[in-house]
Amino acid sequence: MFSPELKKGSIEMLILSLIESRPRHGYEIGKLIEARSGGKLSFALPTLYPTLLRLENRGLIKGRWVEKAGERERCFYRLTPEGRRVLAEHRKTWKAYVAAVNDVIGAEGA
Amino acid sequence: MRDWQAFVRERLKLPGLTLERESRVVRELAAQLEDFYEDARARGVSDAEADAYACRQIEDWRQMARDVWLADRQHARPRFDRTIEPVLERLAGPMPAHVNGRPGGLFVLANALRDARYSIRQLLRSPGFATVAMLTLALGIGATTAIFSVVNAVMLRPLSFPQPESLVRVHELLQKFGRFSVAPATFLDWRQQNTVFEHIAAFNSTGATLATDSGPQRLSGGLVTWDSFELLRVNPALGRTFRQDEDAPGKDGVIVLSHRLWQQRFGGDPGVLGRSVSLNGAPVTIVGVMPAGFNFVGESEFWRPLALNPANATRGGHFLGVIARLKPGVSIEQAGAEMKSISERLAIQYPANSANESAEVIGLHAQVVETIRPALLTLLAAVGVLILIACANVANLLLVRATVRTKEIAIRTALGAGRGRLILQMLCESTILALGGGLLGLLLAYLTIKPIQTLSAGIIPRAATIAIDGTVLTFAFAVSVITGLLFGLVPALQASRSTIGSVLKEGGRSSNAASGRWLRNGLLVAEVAMSIVLLVLSVLLLRSFARLTNVDPGFRPESVLAFRVALPNASYPEDQHRIAFYDRLIERMEALPQVISTGLINALPMRGDYLLSFSVKGRPPAKPNEEPSANYRVISPHYFEAMSIPVTRGRAFTPRDAQKAPMVAIVDQGFVNRHFPNEDPIGQAIDIGNGGEGFYEIVGVVGEVRQAGLDATPFPTMYVPYSQDVFSGMWVVTKTRDDPAALGGLARQTVQEIDGALPAFAMTPLATVVSDSVAQRRFSMLLLTLFASIALFLTAVGLYGVVSYSVSQRTQEIGLRMAIGAQRGDVMRLVVGGGMRLALVGMVLGIASALGVANFLGTMLFEVTPFDPASYIATSVVLMAIAALACFVPARRAMRVDPIVALRQE
Repeated sequence: MFSPELKKGSIEMLILSLIESRPRHGYEIGKLIEARSGGKLSFALPTLYPTLLRLENRGLIKGRWVEKAGERERCFYRLTPEGRRVLAEHRKTWKAYVAAVNDVIGAEGA
Repeated sequence: MRDWQAFVRERLKLPGLTLERESRVVRELAAQLEDFYEDARARGVSDAEADAYACRQIEDWRQMARDVWLADRQHARPRFDRTIEPVLERLAGPMPAHVNGRPGGLFVLANALRDARYSIRQLLRSPGFATVAMLTLALGIGATTAIFSVVNAVMLRPLSFPQPESLVRVHELLQKFGRFSVAPATFLDWRQQNTVFEHIAAFNSTGATLATDSGPQRLSGGLVTWDSFELLRVNPALGRTFRQDEDAPGKDGVIVLSHRLWQQRFGGDPGVLGRSVSLNGAPVTIVGVMPAGFNFVGESEFWRPLALNPANATRGGHFLGVIARLKPGVSIEQAGAEMKSISERLAIQYPANSANESAEVIGLHAQVVETIRPALLTLLAAVGVLILIACANVANLLLVRATVRTKEIAIRTALGAGRGRLILQMLCESTILALGGGLLGLLLAYLTIKPIQTLSAGIIPRAATIAIDGTVLTFAFAVSVITGLLFGLVPALQASRSTIGSVLKEGGRSSNAASGRWLRNGLLVAEVAMSIVLLVLSVLLLRSFARLTNVDPGFRPESVLAFRVALPNASYPEDQHRIAFYDRLIERMEALPQVISTGLINALPMRGDYLLSFSVKGRPPAKPNEEPSANYRVISPHYFEAMSIPVTRGRAFTPRDAQKAPMVAIVDQGFVNRHFPNEDPIGQAIDIGNGGEGFYEIVGVVGEVRQAGLDATPFPTMYVPYSQDVFSGMWVVTKTRDDPAALGGLARQTVQEIDGALPAFAMTPLATVVSDSVAQRRFSMLLLTLFASIALFLTAVGLYGVVSYSVSQRTQEIGLRMAIGAQRGDVMRLVVGGGMRLALVGMVLGIASALGVANFLGTMLFEVTPFDPASYIATSVVLMAIAALACFVPARRAMRVDPIVALRQE
């Protein structure tokens, strides 16, 4: 539906925002993106996972192995303070960008 | 459900990452795939479909690996590892996830650690190889360590006296007998005239009966000059030692106790000082207790003053041991020179007794180890050879293993591992093997300490101190490391020569096949040769021992019990008292139903010569110090009967040969041969230098008895009846109808019934006395035989290994031969012949070397020459038989090769 380039530009922001409220594990993040976008956005594991690694290596998120009651052990990612700052910045930039883009294409379409 | 981690690990190759990082990635991807799977199952999808769905999540694994690498490369591992490990993994399987610490910093240390880790992993991958190699080494290192612990305790560790290096023994040197005990007058002169010793002391061993509440107890002790303790620089633990004024006849009623006796008999009571005890029926006062572990004059339980009387000290009776401490700065040689010149002066001064006598000074430690030294050095050399054989064996194993690993090594070389690095790595592996073997060997040595102590008690001085101490541990460690380098170096050099080109050319088989084979064969030949040497030496000792035990001692020790009784002067002051006691004892013993006959003698056979000079009536007197001498034995009438010594001419003693009857003697055949070769000895008369007056008439001749041991040439012996020269201490020998040991209780009781204050002691079956006399030889023989057997075993294993390997390498050739008509017998000949040729070459070399070294056994041999053909032939036959067996097993496997299968193998 959306081109890979388009999706790639937003994946980091999607991940960061999904774990803003609470830590989530990798599979959950993938499924949430799909669910919340009504199936319009979905990322395959080979895309999602290296991104998680990259975010972690940049210090924006932190993975921790946690075993929840009655479940297997999974790696839960949470936002680091630096991640929180970057996410806020992303959001601001994204909104400004979307608004700008809308201004352009909306004006055109109106 | 599948094992998702294994699934991911198999597909996702992340050579660039650290192991830690890699395993985290694998774990997480596996967890997520499992989420996919479970989710699908939860939606009601079948197991197979859920599995397929999860598997589909990652389709391009290489791309996945690339992306992970790009995202995660800050966790990259060092370059060397990155290139080498994927190759190694492909060759040797995945690395265990638990070894993932990354060394950093010190490069060399890091490499060493990595080498060690890698080596351990490699060894764990071939547990069979590692086990065989380590067990082989354990045998070699264990035997070496055990023998070294003996050498350490006996020869290397200093004596337990302060400043032991300045302690010496001083002996008289007699022209006829060599090193000899010292006569009291000579000792007194030495003490007075020498300028080289701080102290010089004399001692003599003694025994005494202590009266106790629970009956008489026999003790062994030392009579020592008063300053002996000061000389040894050992202070008493309690009280004092002797004062100078107590070291004189009549003033010597004092006793110093050993720590053990004080503990056992006096309960460690500090109040014993000043207490009077009854020793040999006379009162003595306890003045001191020596510290635990103090050993002087054998394992004495007490010490008393020697109390020499200068007024009647003799120069003829040699019975003192002399010990001295050198003055600071005086060497043993200087002391020896001075003692010699003193002796020369004395020889001039007292020509009758001291002519031709000299003196010798020898370090105390050297003296203690003197007799056991050759045997220990031989054994040490033997275990040295054993360890070389073990090395050759393991080196051979490594060579075979190296050919199998050629491919791995070549690839590592191609990927940039330098030759030095490869050699280091392989040496690391062999050292780890050796250390593992060493650890096992140490355990083996530890387990053998007790048996060695038991076996060597009474043969080896200070046997009780044999232990695995710091020195032995260091030795074992050093031997292990050296062994590791020794057997590892050649295979490492050999293997590191592999190049990728040669490996590819040979289709993955040995790149150095020819030179490798030469090395392996060479090692095997050396191994066979070395074990032949050990075998020959042990067979020579075995044959010596067999000869020795077949020597006729001149009497029948079977079912004879021996024990000793000593009559104290206090209660038996006169000869007739003693004679009366012994008469009664014999009578009572012979009245026992089990007893066939009972005899007395002053000194047991096998225990050493006791020589006295004599002269023959009617012959011109000999020059001083040149009189003939013979063993002097005082016996009772039934002695010959109890010992089954044949009376060949004349008669044995009878009760009629009493104290006041005409003096009579019996001589043995050796005496007759030497002194009456052409005369009838019966009726001849001899004057014996036993302090008595008059001539003894020879009334009988008996068979020769080995008085000084089975290996000593018998010396002429003369016997006189005990009634005519009774000793206060006598041995009782009793021939019984059944087990002599069972008679012990009755014998003790009989002695006690006659005199309640007397113990019967030193009780032992006479057969034990005989076997004790060859105990040291038995010790060397047993150990050397053990080592030779291990050597033979290792050689057989080595031969088997090499032949097996060559069969496995030649499967195709054998198949081909069989395909074109070779019979099974031909194959058998081919394989066995190959192995036997090597064994034969080794055997020839071994025999030649054995001929060279057998001479060093010297006095350890008995009536067997170092070149005894039978020993060499027997050894060769045994070795060839074992070699044939070792070749036969793989040959049978070769015979069963199916030509079709073999040819299809390529």
